[in-house]
Amino acid sequence: MEQKFTDLELIQQVLNGETGQYALLVKQHQRFVFTLALRFAKNREDAEEIAQDCFVKAYRALGTFKQTAKFSTWLYTITYTTAMTFLRKKRLETSSINEDDTLIQLENHISGFNANGYEKQNSHAFLNQAITLLAPDDATIITMFYQGEQSLEEIGEALHIEPNTVKVKLHRARQRLKEKLQYLLKDEVKELL
Amino acid sequence: MNTIEQQLWDYIDGNLDENLKKSIEEKIDSDPQIKLQYEEFLKFNLTFSNLDLEEPSMSFTRKVMEDIALVPAPVSLKTKVDTRIIYGIGGFFVLSILAILSFIAYNTKFTMPNFDFDLTFNFDTGKIITPTTINIFLFVDLIIGLVFMDYFLRKKTAQKQL
Repeated sequence: MEQKFTDLELIQQVLNGETGQYALLVKQHQRFVFTLALRFAKNREDAEEIAQDCFVKAYRALGTFKQTAKFSTWLYTITYTTAMTFLRKKRLETSSINEDDTLIQLENHISGFNANGYEKQNSHAFLNQAITLLAPDDATIITMFYQGEQSLEEIGEALHIEPNTVKVKLHRARQRLKEKLQYLLKDEVKELL
Repeated sequence: MNTIEQQLWDYIDGNLDENLKKSIEEKIDSDPQIKLQYEEFLKFNLTFSNLDLEEPSMSFTRKVMEDIALVPAPVSLKTKVDTRIIYGIGGFFVLSILAILSFIAYNTKFTMPNFDFDLTFNFDTGKIITPTTINIFLFVDLIIGLVFMDYFLRKKTAQKQL
């Protein structure tokens, strides 16, 4: 049976020269880091590149990690910074529901949805799509709060903002997310939410 | 911004104190509209909390491990700067400056009425500046220099490894 180590134990082992143990750390966090990267990159290839870059950066800086903090929060700070740098580099436009391109794309999607109904898989796809339609900051806060199960303080620490600001931003992000879902699903939003 | 909506979210997230919590609970119980909104928010929370995380490709971990194989292994930065050393060095210089200033003040003759500003040093420096004091001074300097060099070299090595 594989022994389960905590993040801090794994970090200590890596710092003591057992670099192979880093693979366990990667496995433990790769899904969330990748999901967060996907909120910025919009396609899986770029998101995987960002996530890979994050883990390499974290490995390089592992010696500077203050072991009093949570590794996940520290890793998400790196993810956020790397993803933002990626966005700046690629000059990706933040998707807006009002933009013409998005409207065309959404209408196609909605017609397909109305015709086929939805299953659990589809509903998750729609929820993810709605998050993707948010501005990167809103999408990050929603993802960190719901999928990363981070507290307001931890999100604030990762994004370098006050917890109160996170609270306000989270509230606004939820409102926007609801609007996007209503737009995407129309009446069927009530079945989903 | 403290709308009922915000209060409901704060209640759900557990960000309210006891008084506000009781007040919002009363509102939920008494107002069907607020209750409906509250239930809607709970459902929203549940839906997004159950949202699955995306899975990267199967080769993701392997790719990361291949990348880090090219990077020098990380080491713990044990070179925590001891603040006592910094304060010690600072204190030494402050005391030196104070000693010099006191020495100057002691040997300065202020004669304000005639503006006779006599700065002659009637001080036998030979008594103070002896080979022993010079050796002590140089020894302290040497220690401070070594401490700084050690700090600098450790920092440089750590930066190279990152």
